Amino acid sequence: MTIDRRGAWVLLLLASFACNRRQKVEVQPTIEEAAPALASSVHTRDPKSAGQLVSGFHQIEANAWRWTAKSFAVALYPPAGSGQKGATLQLKFTIPPVVTEKLGKVTLSASVAGSQLAPESYSRPGQYTYERDIPPGVLSGNSVRVDFQLDKALPPGETDLRELGVVVVSAGLESK
Amino acid sequence: MSRARAAAWWIAPSLLCLLLYWRGFTAWFRADDFDWLGLVLRVHGFRDFLAALVTPYSFGTIRPWSERVFFMAGFTLFGMNPLPFRVVIFATQFANLALMAAIARRLTGNAAAGFLAAIFWVLNSALVLPLGWVCAYNQVMCAFFLLLAFYFLLRQVSGGRSARRYEILQWLAFLLGFGAQETNLVYPALAAAYTLLCARKQFRRTLPMFAVSFAYLLVHRWAAPPQRTGDYAMHFTSGMLRTLKDYWMWSVGPAYLWTPFRAPAWLVPFAVALVSLGLLTFLVREWRSGSRTAAFFLAWYLIAIAPVLPFRDQRMDYYVYIPVIGLCWLGGQAFARGWRMAGRYRAAAAAMALLYAAMVVPRSVGASDYNHRLAERVRNLVEGVAGAHERHPDQTILLEGVDTDLFYNAILDHPFRALGFENVYLASGSGRNIAPHPDWGDPAEFILPPDVTAKALDERRLVVYDVGAPLLRNITTEYSGRPRSAEVPRLVDAGNPLEAYLLGPEWYGIDGDHRWMAKRATLRIGGPRAPGQRLYLRGYCPAGALRDGPLSVTVTIDGAPLAPAAIHPGENSFALSYPLPPSVVGALEMRVVVEVGRTYRVPPDNRDLGLAFGAFEVR
Repeated sequence: MTIDRRGAWVLLLLASFACNRRQKVEVQPTIEEAAPALASSVHTRDPKSAGQLVSGFHQIEANAWRWTAKSFAVALYPPAGSGQKGATLQLKFTIPPVVTEKLGKVTLSASVAGSQLAPESYSRPGQYTYERDIPPGVLSGNSVRVDFQLDKALPPGETDLRELGVVVVSAGLESK
Repeated sequence: MSRARAAAWWIAPSLLCLLLYWRGFTAWFRADDFDWLGLVLRVHGFRDFLAALVTPYSFGTIRPWSERVFFMAGFTLFGMNPLPFRVVIFATQFANLALMAAIARRLTGNAAAGFLAAIFWVLNSALVLPLGWVCAYNQVMCAFFLLLAFYFLLRQVSGGRSARRYEILQWLAFLLGFGAQETNLVYPALAAAYTLLCARKQFRRTLPMFAVSFAYLLVHRWAAPPQRTGDYAMHFTSGMLRTLKDYWMWSVGPAYLWTPFRAPAWLVPFAVALVSLGLLTFLVREWRSGSRTAAFFLAWYLIAIAPVLPFRDQRMDYYVYIPVIGLCWLGGQAFARGWRMAGRYRAAAAAMALLYAAMVVPRSVGASDYNHRLAERVRNLVEGVAGAHERHPDQTILLEGVDTDLFYNAILDHPFRALGFENVYLASGSGRNIAPHPDWGDPAEFILPPDVTAKALDERRLVVYDVGAPLLRNITTEYSGRPRSAEVPRLVDAGNPLEAYLLGPEWYGIDGDHRWMAKRATLRIGGPRAPGQRLYLRGYCPAGALRDGPLSVTVTIDGAPLAPAAIHPGENSFALSYPLPPSVVGALEMRVVVEVGRTYRVPPDNRDLGLAFGAFEVR
């Protein structure tokens, strides 16, 4: 059998293409961690909970808490039976004086799995718990996303390049 | 010689070579190999290809065939599969062994001398790295061109109608040898030494080759000026004699005089002295008898070793790989002659050969095995990280447990760049496990600062792997739970997306491994720990930005301006340093403002460009 010159070029190109498509290195398996189970309640100081702080949380500070941005969200495990009976959402947080000094009254609202919860306003610095009932039928599955929203936040500035909302200590769902 | 004996004469040294260096044949890549494997990434067109062939890299070397083409072609066709590279390396070595034996047979008129010379070379521990470390292939290829050119010279000297053809072939091999390695420039001296001693009529015909070597030397020094400091600085002092003594010991005996036997410290040097005495006695006898071949063998050694003698601070065992060919020829001739003489001469020859083998073979086998095991560790890490990247393509990979061997062989030369990703860092604290070698590289450049690590973990942009076992183990959760430092880093890499939170809003987005600033940019960085520490800025300033003269760079720290500095034309890869005021010593963080005197544009990019960074470091 003979291969004409054009055929040889095609073969050469194909061989070259095949070679270029090869994986550049053998890939070895790795020993991976088991997927972490979600908790119903998270403390922002706990690094193991970091995976449940979906967005809007800054670094841990003083090994105790985290600043948030204007919007922040957590993923929580719905407590047993909460789908039928409902649950209570609790957000423990602090409003530092600098926030009220510069922004005045701030309003916090939340939504769970798309269901809006009533907002609440705070005009003085201090420690607060934002607590709302979640009606039956909202919570289901192994994970629920809770979105929090502030109406105002401190913009990035000269001293701190971060957007600052409130200081959150924990967030959780409690069964009724 | 019967056909079977003739076949054995040619093949046996190669088979022994494969047997002895099987661990080298099966070794993976390591260290500088990755730098060369990644070279192909710099090629985007024919002009880049030419530049990649001849631009001086790696301490000013220009080796188009043995490094550039070898690695670029190998990686393009086979990726990080070492087998094709090894096949080429060993095939070249087999050719070297055949040439070596053939040359010795021609020079001594004794087939046994040629065979033994090849065997002695195979046993020598100088072969471990050229055969076991891919980037040392330049040695093997250089030996090939030197031996080939010399073989053609011998054919030319023997006269006949083909003499002219062999002279042309000698020239071709000589010229091609410059693409393999710089040592090739000694070939005219080798040819001249041989013709002067053994074929004086041909001596003058070797002289034009000196002009070529001299021209090569001039061009090479122009393209890659010799280093004045560091390991590769040349020292033309009497210390060269001490270096020669050491290389002689490593040539006649094991590299670094290493032996696995529990022996008194004087034993190996004593054995080296005995074998050396045997060789020199034979040399003197030959000289007295009027034969100059043995003298040429010694001349080969001295001429080939000469280029590396000025490298006082960079002594490598494989530097004797080519020179030792001369001593193996001498040893082969001496053994063959002694064996033929029978009686005490035969006994002495056998004793010397056994002594030599007893010294060098354990080192060759041991070092080859060590090289293999080291390369396997590198393989586990690189292939393991490739697996981790495949599982977590959008996350940065942090490695815990990298030690000295792994850092210098698997991290420093950026193996992952060749695989298309670079976001691999070392865990903070890794520096404690890595012995410093400032001339090789700085582990600090690969360590992710604790503060950046903490933030990246919180944002789930980082996965952490323990590299302490052959299979990498994901320890992200466990690592996240460890006590954290909230210190603002003192080394900020503007090209690392994980450190973007330290940069002000004026910066442009990341371009590959760097980030452009406009006229003014800000960042946060940790303050100096002690008085006297400085702020270092490293980055890139294109020639176009310096066309109108020096570019002023003003830096202020917490509002206080530092001494003004400028980047001058030609300083495209710039490194600026500023003394820091005492007021910021111990500060948790400083706010740095960098401002350049002017910006420039590169159409169609409509951004106002200042400088590309790079790193900011306080130390």
